[in-house]
Amino acid sequence: MTRAAQTPSIATLPPLSLYIHVPWCVRKCPYCDFNSHAQKGDIPEQAYLNALMEDVTADIAGVQGRSIETVFIGGGTPSLMSPDFYRQLFERLSAHLQFAPDAEITLEANPGTVEQSRFEGFRAAGINRLSLGVQSFNPLHLQTLGRIHDDQAARNAINAARAAGFDNFNIDLMHGLPNQTVAQAVNDLEQALTFDPPHLSWYQLTLEPNTEFYSRPPDLPEDDALWDIIEAGGNLLRTNGYQDYEVSAWSKPGKASRHNLNYWEFGDYLAMGAGAHGKITFLDDNEIRRYWKTRQPEAYLNRIGSRTAGQQAIAVDELPLEFMMNALRLNRGVSEKLYTERTGLPLTGIAEILSAVRSEGLFEASRLQATPLGQRYLNSILERFL
Amino acid sequence: MTELSHIRNFSIIAHIDHGKSTLADRFIQVCGGLTDREMAAQVLDSMDLERERGITIKAQSVTLRYKARDGIEYKLNMIDTPGHVDFSYEVSRSLFACEGALLVVDAGQGVEAQSVANCYTAIEQGLEVVPVLNKMDLPQAEPERVAQEIEDIIGIGAADAVRCSAKSGMGVEEVLEELIRLVPPPEGDIDGPLQALIIDSWFDNYLGVVSLVRVRQGTLRKGDKILIKSTGKAWSADRVGIFTPKPTDTGILGTGEVGFVVAGIKDIHGAPVGDTITHQKTPDTAPVPGFKKVKPQVYAGLFPVTSDDYDDFRDALEKLTLNDASLFFEPENSDALGLGFRCGFLGMLHMEIVQERLEREYDLDLITTAPTVVYEVLNKQNEILHVDNPSRLPDIGSIEEMREPIVEANILVPQEHLGNVIALCEEKRGVQKNMLFLSSQVQLTYELPMAEVVLDFFDRVKSASRGFASLDYHFNRFQAADLVRLDILINGERVDALALIVHRAIAHRRGRSVIEKMKELIPRQMFDIAIQAAIGNQVVSRQTVKALRKNVTAKCYGGDVSRKKKLLQKQKEGKKRMKQLGNVEVPQEAFLAVLRVDN
Repeated sequence: MTRAAQTPSIATLPPLSLYIHVPWCVRKCPYCDFNSHAQKGDIPEQAYLNALMEDVTADIAGVQGRSIETVFIGGGTPSLMSPDFYRQLFERLSAHLQFAPDAEITLEANPGTVEQSRFEGFRAAGINRLSLGVQSFNPLHLQTLGRIHDDQAARNAINAARAAGFDNFNIDLMHGLPNQTVAQAVNDLEQALTFDPPHLSWYQLTLEPNTEFYSRPPDLPEDDALWDIIEAGGNLLRTNGYQDYEVSAWSKPGKASRHNLNYWEFGDYLAMGAGAHGKITFLDDNEIRRYWKTRQPEAYLNRIGSRTAGQQAIAVDELPLEFMMNALRLNRGVSEKLYTERTGLPLTGIAEILSAVRSEGLFEASRLQATPLGQRYLNSILERFL
Repeated sequence: MTELSHIRNFSIIAHIDHGKSTLADRFIQVCGGLTDREMAAQVLDSMDLERERGITIKAQSVTLRYKARDGIEYKLNMIDTPGHVDFSYEVSRSLFACEGALLVVDAGQGVEAQSVANCYTAIEQGLEVVPVLNKMDLPQAEPERVAQEIEDIIGIGAADAVRCSAKSGMGVEEVLEELIRLVPPPEGDIDGPLQALIIDSWFDNYLGVVSLVRVRQGTLRKGDKILIKSTGKAWSADRVGIFTPKPTDTGILGTGEVGFVVAGIKDIHGAPVGDTITHQKTPDTAPVPGFKKVKPQVYAGLFPVTSDDYDDFRDALEKLTLNDASLFFEPENSDALGLGFRCGFLGMLHMEIVQERLEREYDLDLITTAPTVVYEVLNKQNEILHVDNPSRLPDIGSIEEMREPIVEANILVPQEHLGNVIALCEEKRGVQKNMLFLSSQVQLTYELPMAEVVLDFFDRVKSASRGFASLDYHFNRFQAADLVRLDILINGERVDALALIVHRAIAHRRGRSVIEKMKELIPRQMFDIAIQAAIGNQVVSRQTVKALRKNVTAKCYGGDVSRKKKLLQKQKEGKKRMKQLGNVEVPQEAFLAVLRVDN
């Protein structure tokens, strides 16, 4: 399939988010392919803070007058950093960036690294949403996953978060764990539900390259068993008032992760920290640029000035795919208008594909949205945009 | 020009790993044909594929100058022969240019069936066969036993056979001396009108068609106006020379000599193998009795995965046939696979080589359908039809009798593996014709359905005998048999490209194993896929490829999409090698499932 080369014409800038990466962990989990490194000795908080500030000030041109709508601090294990680190970080950031008054600021926390006072400190530093990496409540599965916490620590962490005033929080859970039964998967969800979380990320464990699990694969449930887990778990969550607004994300009404929504809606985001990825629309050049930061924590600390390791404008012929890879993950999809708004390309360029997937019952009629059938075979739809 | 009495034309007959190429290399070295630096490993096997598979496919020649012990310098023309059962036709072609052949036998292993068959061909064609016992440097060499075996099986004296080791160089010159002593020089009227037999023709990108010829009488000179007898077309001999093994222009080829001629011919069919070249001024010269044109034994459909490649595919096949006159093709239109070609091959190895060359050298993605032999059908109108494509089998009601090709197979097997090989022959519906106990091997003669032999019989014989048995076969006759067409249906649709002709007795079992294999090969898709095997309207077996539950990337970290993009690319690449049948995507391998069935 060839599409005539078009020049995008982007009229308005999308909303802007900020992603901050903290690359250290107590230890690396066998399934994790993120940029995380087992911590040796004390984390050089002050040096990292200075590096982050040098880094972000070099990228300020990308802001183009926008305020920051959401912030996500991910890792690694960001909760390893002290509350004071974040207090200083936001203090210094506000000299360069304008934060929206209602900005959503999320911090990823490992239940093994927190107690209530620490959560209170995070809150005082300006963080208003937590994402708790619980993964499972089954002690055996927690062990298999190499987590540093047990199920009781997980419960304590959720209670501590609530007590510290975090009403808006997410619980991360995985399913399709080694030898997991449907009952075990449902039980994990039931335990999470007892805390009435506003948001649940419930995602399937997949084996990613460059992980321990990839080189020594554990015994994962078969396709059909996985499907039973997904059906049973989905029913439970829907009955309890959750909506699956994205492939792996469930929330109470109005409690979707605004930061992630900005990703799925092909918004912009600044990147800070080792191995972080950013995406910025440049109106003047009519192009959308992806850029990424030096991955190794040591190298990130030791560099001077910008820590950008590479950048690349998204090729015009890849824009449709990149947009769809994000937008179609949303179960409600996006409006057709948003496609042109974000990519600067007319819908006519993908009309042929759209009419094909619509005629096959994989796509809704007037939105860029996969039907329930299409959502099951999203990769088959996306492949057409390649 | 060399005096006739100073010329010897010979081939080497040897089993695949009995050291023919090493010996040929030694000859070249002894005669100073190449410097050591030029002496790339085994120069005669020039095609990449040949070298990789360690076999010789195309006939090649080398002219050597050897100063013998009688003080005379002889011109030795060595014409190479292929060593695989698929290419026995090319052997007979090479032998046509010779007065003698060296039978090279591994002194540790003994005679192999392939060599026996080629020796018989040589003897039939009136050649002097000179036995040579090779690999004498190995401790397991048993020259007396092997010499006896040569006498028993082939019936030529071998007690005084030269013992040599091509590897160490021992006895190599003695082999050449024996050759000069025993092989008669060529005969022919050096003053007669030109009569040159085309042993081989191939297409060279720079020169056009190059023909290897054996001059029977007269003289061929550069600049001569020549005539190709069968086409009646005249050309100018632009280049005339010999291979040393480098092509070397000599400007002249006399009676009895072997060399090349280039005449600006652009199409290989302009200089057909087996044809005769004469001078334009002597058009009435009789052609040299040539050899029979070879008939393909195995047919298969080859289809481009994407129909856009059809023209490229046709061009590629045309180019291949420039160098491979035994490859046959004609357009085929399949309901399932679209436009492609029905191709005829000498055997399975030939098919694999052609397929590999098309994919490797011409960058084509192809689907090959199950290979089949040619069946003879007698219809109710008493007409005989030849069917090389199961989907073209006439309506069963119009058929009076179906006949399958039967081959006579000669197998040489050490006694300890005799039981296994007999069991295999029986399993393949073989009928024993003869069994001869020799000193250490047994010579078995079986009649077998060709369909059972061409697919994997050679490999099975090898594994049933730990590699020690050898096999040669040739077509014998058509014979009435209870044959049926086995159809394969995917989601209820008969897929013409998957049809097979099989014996009724094994039809059910074959159907079951084929669709079981297909179930493994067809990936799960968005819906259930039913695979059925049927004879007529009767479904004999069924399997279901269950629908894939979902195909979604569980976690897509918004920041970095590059890896997920690569996954999608990989997924799409994979599908490029699949064929869409209705809405089912079928991978290439599934069309050859019948070959992957475990027996």
